Order: sequence, then C-alpha cells, then structure tokens
Amino acid sequence: MSLKVGGAEIIGVVLPGDEILQFNPDVNKERICIGPGLRWEDNVVRATKPGILKKTTKKLYYVDTHQKRYIPQRREFVIGIVLKKKGDYYTIDIGGSEQATISYLSFENASKKTRKEMKPGDLIFGQLLVANKDMEPEMVCIDTYDRAVGMGSLPEGGIMFNVSLHVARLIVNPENPFLLNISKKVQYAIVTGFNGRVWVKAKKQSDMVAIMNCILMLEVMTLKEANDNVFKVFESFSRHGLK
Amino acid sequence: MHICYSSSKMAKHACQLNFLSRSDGSALYSIGNTVALASVNGPGEVKKSNRHYNRSHLEVCYSPSTGQSMIGERTLESVILHTVEQVILVHLHPRTATNVTIQEMQSDGLALSTSVNATCLALLDAGVQMKSPFAAVTCCLTPSGTIIIEPTEAELKESEALATFVFDGQALNVLSAHQEGCLDSENFYACLRKCQTAAKDVLNFYRRIMEEKYSSDKSYN
Repeated sequence: MSLKVGGAEIIGVVLPGDEILQFNPDVNKERICIGPGLRWEDNVVRATKPGILKKTTKKLYYVDTHQKRYIPQRREFVIGIVLKKKGDYYTIDIGGSEQATISYLSFENASKKTRKEMKPGDLIFGQLLVANKDMEPEMVCIDTYDRAVGMGSLPEGGIMFNVSLHVARLIVNPENPFLLNISKKVQYAIVTGFNGRVWVKAKKQSDMVAIMNCILMLEVMTLKEANDNVFKVFESFSRHGLK
Repeated sequence: MHICYSSSKMAKHACQLNFLSRSDGSALYSIGNTVALASVNGPGEVKKSNRHYNRSHLEVCYSPSTGQSMIGERTLESVILHTVEQVILVHLHPRTATNVTIQEMQSDGLALSTSVNATCLALLDAGVQMKSPFAAVTCCLTPSGTIIIEPTEAELKESEALATFVFDGQALNVLSAHQEGCLDSENFYACLRKCQTAAKDVLNFYRRIMEEKYSSDKSYN
C-alpha cells in the first residue's frame, strides 16, 4: 500500500508522537537515516511534526509537512532582503527568527578593494553556509570554488512574493512541467528560495502578476489541477486588457 | 480550508484548518455550541527581555467573546500555557518565541476544552515540533450522580462539580487538570476514566483532520 512519488515512497500520514519504527543500534545491523520531522529517543523513532512520512531508496525517512514558517537549514538556497550594512558585512532578512549575515567578500570577484555594493531593500539569492539552532545564520553567494553559479543580487524590475514552504519545494525544479507550461505562454525568469520566497521577472507587469497568481494557485490545488488552470489565468488577464 | 465533522455520539466536533491566511497555523474549532479560533505564530523573533539561551519562549493570549480580558482569562491562559509547554519541543528553537492567540467566538460553557483543542489543531496546522498532540475533555457531575461528558451551559448550571482533563496523545497521561466544585475521590477517578475514554475520540478526530489535509498530496504524480 505504498506509492512512489518523485523518487520517495509514501508510507502514510503521521501525527507527532507516532512511533515509526524501533531501532536499537545493538540489535539492528542495517543503517537508516532520519530526516526532518523525526526524532530518535529510547531506541524508538518518533515523528515530531504532522505530515506525510516518506522514505527514499537510500533508507532516508522524513516527514513532509505543509508549513509556512521557515527554519534556516545549512546548504539551502534562500532569497534574502538586505536590511543594513554593518561594517564588513550586510544584515539580511531571510524569513527566519534571526537575521542572517553575509560578508562583503562572499561574492564572485570580490576583494578588499572591489567591494560589492548593495543598498537596503535589494534582493539577494544565496546559500546558507552556517545555520543551526544555536548560531546566527550566515549566507554566501559563492560556492567552494569561488564561482557565483547563479547566486548574487537579483536584478531590478521583478516581483517577489511569499508562498508556503511545500509549494516552494514543488517549483524548485526548473524542469517541472508546471513551470514549462507557463513558459509556453510567456517568457519569464524565476528564482525560488527554500524560505518560501519566489521572485519572478517578465517583460510586462501584467504577465508577472499572472505568473504570481498561477504559483499561488498551488497553495490550494494539486499540481495537476493548477496545470489545467494556467491558460485560464492568462486568458482572464489579457481579457481585462491590463498593461 | 479543511472542514471536518465528528460522527461520535458526543457533541459534534467540527474544525476548519488554515482559517487565517496570515498566521503560520490556525484552527477554527467547535464542540457543540462553543466555538474558539486559535492562531499560532512561531518560532519567530523574540524581544530581548524574553530571550532564553536554550529554549523557545511560549506565550498564550486568550480573548473572551464579550467584555474585557480579566483574571478569569488569565487563568485560562495559564492552564493552556502549562499544557502546551509540556508538549512543544522548546529546546529545538532557542532564542525564539512561539505565540498562541485564542479568540473565543461563542461560549456554551466549554471554553477551556475548546480552547485547548483549538490550540492543538493550530499547532498541528503550523507544523510546530511536538512530542504528541493533546486532547481536553470536560465533564460535570450532576446532583443525581451521573457524569455528563461535554455538558452544555444549562447542564453545567445544574451540576455539582465540573472537571476538565487534558491528556497527551501517547499513553493518555494527564497533562493538566482543572476542577471546580466538590468531588470526592471516587467520583474524581470516575470522571477521570470517562474523560480518558472520550479523549480517544478527540485524538481520532485530529488524525482524520490531518489525513484530510494531506489527502491531495498522497495521490498526485
């Protein structure tokens, strides 16, 4: 009675405190990985969040929850808003309980002489280098080889909006048929952050708002239903003749 | 927007999740004619004075449907806060705050248990990490010695004593107990046992609500 969805096997809906499996390292010889939403205590693995329990082929168990509040995790790509400049680093709002910081050197081709200049209100797309419950999060816009790989400040002229975290995870993959369907109607650029922030840019403002509405539809419908409604959304925008 | 109704012989339980679009989690919940709306925000920013180095700061705010918020409401807030503190994994989110706000929409005598259950559903909707869900059940003892589970306001007026118990979802242990009136030990334990049985229905209700919420996820490509 298990479904395979996107490479992960769906086991079922769990509530916090539900026992998933017994695991005693002395008795069980095989290794299992425990992901978000699960906790191992007294040789029992229990769920801590309500949601769908999934298992990947590499024996990684995790709970997929519908959540709105972002909790910073290391190595996640996020969209941040620059708040202020404090000496050698910028303070960035990433939607978590604490502000993140980014050093002026964490950009491609940045050096002590050529600094990256940003003003408050700018959008920045980067990766979290440090993020755990005990420390202030830190962001960078370069990878280990000092290349930007698409990170950095986002260009002017787009719109940014918030979606639930599970919706952001749905549209992160650029080969997603939903996003490709929208591209049949209009040419656009999209950047999705794991913190639930999505940035969209297209030539006309009405197109950007139409794309935003298409993505917001995913909050209340499944991917399939939203896919079918994409053309209706664009039609209603062009019918009202918005510029 | 997930609406669910219970089908047990007890008073009707109904719930709608994600009622407020701007909260991290919210639930509009009713038992019979008592309705409460709970909203949860967190773990988020916290004032410097409330920061704890190793845990999240919990706050509960209860507003009655009519009149100003006074001492009676503070008692409710305190009971709910002490219940919720035992269940939320506060040590996973140091230097943050989690706020629970409850608005009483309609009252037919079951304000405490409705608020507690609405809080649990709002916490489940928000995805806050917890040890287990919790369920509150109120019962009253009539002068003739019958125990009524989830009485109405009229039945409460005629009763000798009333007791509200909050149970955890695992072993049905008592997390909090609030009692008014005179109950001898035999009646107290009888009330406790009846409420424990009724709590199983509430916990099954939570499970059904969650399964409905995630039903669309289980079956798409």
